[in-house]
Amino acid sequence: MKLLRRTGDKMVFQVDLRESVLLQQTLKLYPRVPPAHQPLSNSGKLPDPQENQRLLDDALADHRAANKKQVQAFVTDPRRFKPIEDGFRLSLTRPDAEWLLQVLNDVRVGSWLILGSPEERPKAPTAKTTPDFWAMEIAGYFQEQLLESLMGDGT
Amino acid sequence: MAATATPEIAPVVVQEPQDKPKSGLEPGYLVVCWNDPVNYMHYVTHVFQMVFGWSRKKAEFHMLQVHEQGKSILARESMEKAEHYVHELQKYTLHATMERDE
Repeated sequence: MKLLRRTGDKMVFQVDLRESVLLQQTLKLYPRVPPAHQPLSNSGKLPDPQENQRLLDDALADHRAANKKQVQAFVTDPRRFKPIEDGFRLSLTRPDAEWLLQVLNDVRVGSWLILGSPEERPKAPTAKTTPDFWAMEIAGYFQEQLLESLMGDGT
Repeated sequence: MAATATPEIAPVVVQEPQDKPKSGLEPGYLVVCWNDPVNYMHYVTHVFQMVFGWSRKKAEFHMLQVHEQGKSILARESMEKAEHYVHELQKYTLHATMERDE
């Protein structure tokens, strides 16, 4: 995945055939972080903590549901992936790229949780951990490419 | 001639203006980001820039604090605003919470 050009808010990437398959398969794994995973507070010293936690969980669940629909639309939208000789041209606006970062990081963190939240990056996957290990690695690869493009614009 | 006593003038102690007592300050909730071994450092920097509108330098400072000290206090806000920031950070799957500033 290579940034070809950036014009204002719009970025165009070149994605080879293998990358396009990997990106679409990775996105289809969303969501991977389990619902109600994140506490609102560590100390719990908030007014009405249960109600506030519920509101946060509901807000994140709505966000996740909207993202899931958007993932479906993204991977099936023919205008997103325009075929070229040796792959595709992927067009993203800046908000698209931000959204994609969130989705990819969910897949990455969720896969890491499934792997047992290891402190160190696993060196080599076992037969059992291979799918989750590679989901984490591939999501990370696309995140890196997006971050480089987003952070390279001086913001 | 009796000496006239010079009246003693006590020095006036000028009090420096003090900050309002903590209890009188609004808002009072801390937005905290905690370290984890999974999120990329430059991803965390990027998220701080996006959520708080910070410069790269400020975002990197807080990211390094998270990385080296285990957590960073990102903001002190009203309850609603702190909740908003925690929600935004959690949308990016960062380990963020809000804590009462005591």
